[in-house]
Amino acid sequence: MQIYFNVFLSTSIYYLVGVGFTVIYFLNKYFHFTHAIIFTSGAYFIFLFNQLFGLPLYISIPLAIFSACLLGCLMEIVFYKPLRKNSSSSMVMMLASLGIYIAIQNVISLIFGDDTKSIRTWPVVEGVNVFGARITHVQIIIIISSVILTILVASYLSFAKTGKAMRAVSSDPEMAKISGINIDKIILISFAIGSALAGIGGILVSLDVDMTPTMGMNALLMGVVAMIIGGVGSIRGIVFGALLLAFAQNFGVWYISSQWQDAIAFGILLIFLMLKPEGFYGKKLRKAEV
Amino acid sequence: MDYILHILILIGIYTILSVSLNLLVGYTGILSMAHAAFFGVGAYVAALMALRFNSPFILNIFLAVIGTSIIGGIIGFPSLRIKDDYFVIATFAFQIIMFSILNNLVDFTGGPLGLPGIPQPVIFGIAITTHWSFLGLTTVLALFTYWSANRIVKSPFGRVLKGLRENEVFAMSAGKNVTAFKIKIFMVSAALASLGGVIYATYITYIDPTSFTVMESIFIISIVIIGGAGNLKGSFVGAVVLVALPEVLRFIGMPDSIAANMRQILYGGLLVAFMLWRPQGFIGEYSFGRNNGK
Repeated sequence: MQIYFNVFLSTSIYYLVGVGFTVIYFLNKYFHFTHAIIFTSGAYFIFLFNQLFGLPLYISIPLAIFSACLLGCLMEIVFYKPLRKNSSSSMVMMLASLGIYIAIQNVISLIFGDDTKSIRTWPVVEGVNVFGARITHVQIIIIISSVILTILVASYLSFAKTGKAMRAVSSDPEMAKISGINIDKIILISFAIGSALAGIGGILVSLDVDMTPTMGMNALLMGVVAMIIGGVGSIRGIVFGALLLAFAQNFGVWYISSQWQDAIAFGILLIFLMLKPEGFYGKKLRKAEV
Repeated sequence: MDYILHILILIGIYTILSVSLNLLVGYTGILSMAHAAFFGVGAYVAALMALRFNSPFILNIFLAVIGTSIIGGIIGFPSLRIKDDYFVIATFAFQIIMFSILNNLVDFTGGPLGLPGIPQPVIFGIAITTHWSFLGLTTVLALFTYWSANRIVKSPFGRVLKGLRENEVFAMSAGKNVTAFKIKIFMVSAALASLGGVIYATYITYIDPTSFTVMESIFIISIVIIGGAGNLKGSFVGAVVLVALPEVLRFIGMPDSIAANMRQILYGGLLVAFMLWRPQGFIGEYSFGRNNGK
């Protein structure tokens, strides 16, 4: 039973990162590795507010989410918007985002140090017994909040006016502009939402396990793997992808050994890329559309 | 003096790596994140042969080249069918899998402890042990890499590569088997990268998997991009700039612990700045296309 809970736990985290990444990716169509650094910064912001400034958790959590969100918007305004105005290709955007990721990750290392930091000052409590599995309060919070956020994001994209505008920009930016949608504003909103989700993911992970400056990259890669397996641009696809990935990893650890966790995840990714690159719920990509 | 020679040898090694990657990034227009994996495979093949079988250096070079190009073929064959962004992610995946293999097959590769005590090369009875002789060896191999890359890009084969960089569908309609061309150049690029690995292993005499991570791949990509994609001289310029520039930090008295981070901040920042203002690098001719063609 324990292993199923671990699966759900990993799923929630992968899912949160993956969905935040998708909200930005399906508008902009390039891999922004900065998402990883927003995830990390969520965790470090809460360390800053909670441990260094001594603010209580219920104030520092919203503050950290807000800061992560702000950081994401800042990146869009400072870096991505000028790049877009240059009509740079997706590769150039991706390389730039890699550069930003490396620079900021090392800034975090310089300020906070490379060692593991923790905000868990409360006493270690024995987990609750649910159907014969031990699960801590924080882990319950992670699973519940990811479910709530799923519903929120999915309904936002389907019903809210800006959510609809986002889908319009995603399917055809040119047409969207003609119908009077302010593309820059919509992209900024997508960065705000995506970064907030990444920040929340980072905070939740830092509450459950600890934080290191490189934690974001791993989380992001798993989120991206979940997204590709599930199919780009589909919310239920990511849920499915994250679930499949978490299952494979946790059972892989059970049968083989934990060292091969990354190799298992990327092995699955490669199989999907080769056999079914559009993922489970994605649309087929046609190369000849030039 | 040894310090300056050390920097020059590193510049030589990174020139080999960036020239070989430039064949992919600059001339064929495909961005591979797995270059450090080939660098690592070259280093590990040479080190394991020398340690286990005590085989001569020249043979080790040949084995490293052949082994790496076979692995390049195995990786390239399935993944080169995938399109731009996804290809990058696929090579990213291969890079991480390769790192897992090097790190986890403890009996074979020494795992995280690495392989210490790699014997230094002996070529035709001449032992290469001093910094000067290593610089000579590195220069010879770097010149060989440059020469063969130059021959490739000037040949009809190289012109086809440039053609499919500019417009893949057009190259296809001209009757070129695009995937076959890509796989061939991928294997050549991997084989040349292994030369850098062989020198690195025998020069440092110790290797461990952390020298061959994704971050190393990104560093090599930065050299190619900043130097200039699609220009082999650019790769040399990029290697000089990115290897030598961080050494300046040492002279302004920055402690080592900070300098390591500052070095990465420096090249991350350079990469962003170049993408913003000069995407073709110092003297490059290719900048991953403006969006007009697509």
